[in-house]
Amino acid sequence: MKPQNKPLPSLIAVIDIGTHKTVALVGQLIDGKARMLSFSERRTDGVVKGTVTDLEKLQRCVHEVVNDVERGASRAIDEVYLSMSGPAAEGERVKGIISVPAADGRVAKQDVLDAIASAKRLEPPAGRATILYMRQPTILDNRPVVNAVGMTGRRLEVLFWRVTMDEGNLRLRVGMVNGMSLMLRDFILASHAAACAVATETEKQGGVLLIDMGAGTTDWILYYKEHILCAGSIPLGGEHLTNDLGVALRVSRDTAEDLKVRFASAVHREADLNQTIWKDGDRGLGDQQFNRGTITKVSSLRYQETLDFVRKDVLRQLDQIFPDHPTKLDQHLLPSGVILTGGSANLQDAAEAVQLVLGLPARVGVPVFEVESFRKPEYAGVVGMMTAAITDAPPPVRRPRGFLAALRDLFRF
Amino acid sequence: MERAPSILLVGLGGAGCAMVTRLAPGLPADIRVLRVDTDARSVAEDGAAAVQIGRAQTRGMGTGGEPAVGAVAAEAEEPALRRAFTGVPLVVLVTGLGGGTGSGASAVVARQAADAGATVLAFATMPFSHEGERRMRQANEGAVALGQKAHGLVLVHNDLLLQQVSNEAPLSESFAAADAWVGGALRALAAAFEPGALVPVDPAALRSILASPGSPTLFAYGVGAGPGAAATAARAAGQCPLAHGPGAVTKVAALFVYVAGGPAMTSADAFEAVAAVRLRFGGETTTLLCARIDPALGERVEVSVLGASLPAPKAAPKARKGAKAADADQPLFGFATEETLRRGLFGGTPMTFIEGQDVDVPTYIRKAVRLPAG
Repeated sequence: MKPQNKPLPSLIAVIDIGTHKTVALVGQLIDGKARMLSFSERRTDGVVKGTVTDLEKLQRCVHEVVNDVERGASRAIDEVYLSMSGPAAEGERVKGIISVPAADGRVAKQDVLDAIASAKRLEPPAGRATILYMRQPTILDNRPVVNAVGMTGRRLEVLFWRVTMDEGNLRLRVGMVNGMSLMLRDFILASHAAACAVATETEKQGGVLLIDMGAGTTDWILYYKEHILCAGSIPLGGEHLTNDLGVALRVSRDTAEDLKVRFASAVHREADLNQTIWKDGDRGLGDQQFNRGTITKVSSLRYQETLDFVRKDVLRQLDQIFPDHPTKLDQHLLPSGVILTGGSANLQDAAEAVQLVLGLPARVGVPVFEVESFRKPEYAGVVGMMTAAITDAPPPVRRPRGFLAALRDLFRF
Repeated sequence: MERAPSILLVGLGGAGCAMVTRLAPGLPADIRVLRVDTDARSVAEDGAAAVQIGRAQTRGMGTGGEPAVGAVAAEAEEPALRRAFTGVPLVVLVTGLGGGTGSGASAVVARQAADAGATVLAFATMPFSHEGERRMRQANEGAVALGQKAHGLVLVHNDLLLQQVSNEAPLSESFAAADAWVGGALRALAAAFEPGALVPVDPAALRSILASPGSPTLFAYGVGAGPGAAATAARAAGQCPLAHGPGAVTKVAALFVYVAGGPAMTSADAFEAVAAVRLRFGGETTTLLCARIDPALGERVEVSVLGASLPAPKAAPKARKGAKAADADQPLFGFATEETLRRGLFGGTPMTFIEGQDVDVPTYIRKAVRLPAG
């Protein structure tokens, strides 16, 4: 009955529910390689700032994408992976420490397992359920080691990045998926998925910060020496850019969105002030004229502020992990710099703004995928989910026990 | 017995008393001033009429930022306040929301004034975004309560004030903008009660504009000088930050337009200004016009616009800033005050706090960045 004991089903379905859009992808595993069978995309309903506000609408929307992909694949799906992002998912570092029992200090495999067990014994905060553990480096006598078995030392520390979710939120999502006669196979951390799609192994090995700026939330994840060091989320995104423009220019949401896509920028330049733009461009009735400088000023302020909140959040988490040495965001920690992805990475001069605010080289990450229309930053999450789901036999997303067992725990009172 | 003034300007709480003190010297003769505060220091100044509320509750200190204390304090002083309001047709209440006295007592004072038969127009300042979650929540709650009791409520956002001045300007200068707005409103209202206008207006009709139940209140103020001063002033009023932001009232059914200028101003000038204002703000049902020659203005022309519209049929994203007092059982549908004016699309959603700021409010407003014109 435990899902991980079953062979990986050849049909893999992933659903990424964002604030702006919900995307489902179905692929098939043929000779170890994924082939996409079908996909569907719809405008998300019932989610504001990354939080579910209207379950019924959201459910309808998810139902539609599932129907679409099933039709496209001409097969029924029985289990899905869901993305997990935003403030609902919180992460923290957990530790399991043991003293090596052997007289000669040689670490046995059992010692590592014991340390892992002790790390996982730590209860999540009240009202939250553990969703996944991501392995971080093992520390033997304060030295990070790749594999401690066979080495000698006194004190063995096993570290995990533990992601927990609010129980109410978890029930809501499980209920939503079960309501469609589907099984929830697992959650995939959205930022990790995005990294799977746009960051190379070399970048992750060196150290890289990935910022996934969507419509409602901005998720970030930091890789250092191959492992996830920490991750976080800021409840700000592209919708805030739209809103700011709407407030500043006194235009409707749709107009603001349109102006954002066409004229906004993450960096304000003096030359923008000399540029006048038209709302519709046909200079017909109802057309309006705006100073481009106003648009870029508003958008760049919001964009750079959001990045600055990310910078502070990263530093705060790093401080918790390394309380003794203040860590700086520099090339030493992140030789591969910053990768920016998600829908809001499409904003003009986005990478330049990251460079300005974080002081690190930055690039916009575009997913590598067989379907050309998916090679855009906004699809990094869903494409990466597919990659993560396939390799989910399982580095580094792995669970202590079956996810179902965790669920059973959750519902057993 | 002393004749009651046409307009009673009430400064409530620390911020309200401070503003009234700044405004008092330049006010028309027909406006009487009343200071109301829990803090003994505010009400002790220069012998002007003042009521210290909450002596039993606060012993002459402030409320410590507790609206509940402010509300109880005002209730306790009801007889004295009632006396002050009796016989006054129009009460202009000026207060700062966010603290204890303003947030807690303003609705109580507004109700007492309304019960005494006065029409109540309230100007309330909202705290800066940087003042943190608690003050913002208290201010929001205070604004909603005040909006239910006062006949008209105009919110002045401190964040907006910062945008009115250059970044180098001293803080006092940014408050000057608020003083100018409220001062403009007072002169306009006083003019309606004063005889001798170029184009007079019936004070009762003015009061009737504010009497529509559940109506959002509009106020805008602009000044112009030199050639075409009236048109410039009307344009400035059209761009007045108080009348801006999504959700701010853009078109109203009933308008009161006050145009004042130096001896050189003609009726044509005045009507031109009114036409420009109507184009911007509506006023299809009623437009009351009051024009006045004020030699002190010289070359300048000032335009004040006060308006109210019928309540929107549905809870559309419109700021609903004024409501009629009387019926407490009347169902209230989403009083959007602070909310839609500054939070736009996010009005109505829970606030998102990072570092003590509501980050759903646009960055440029919170950082008080002046936007390029146009």
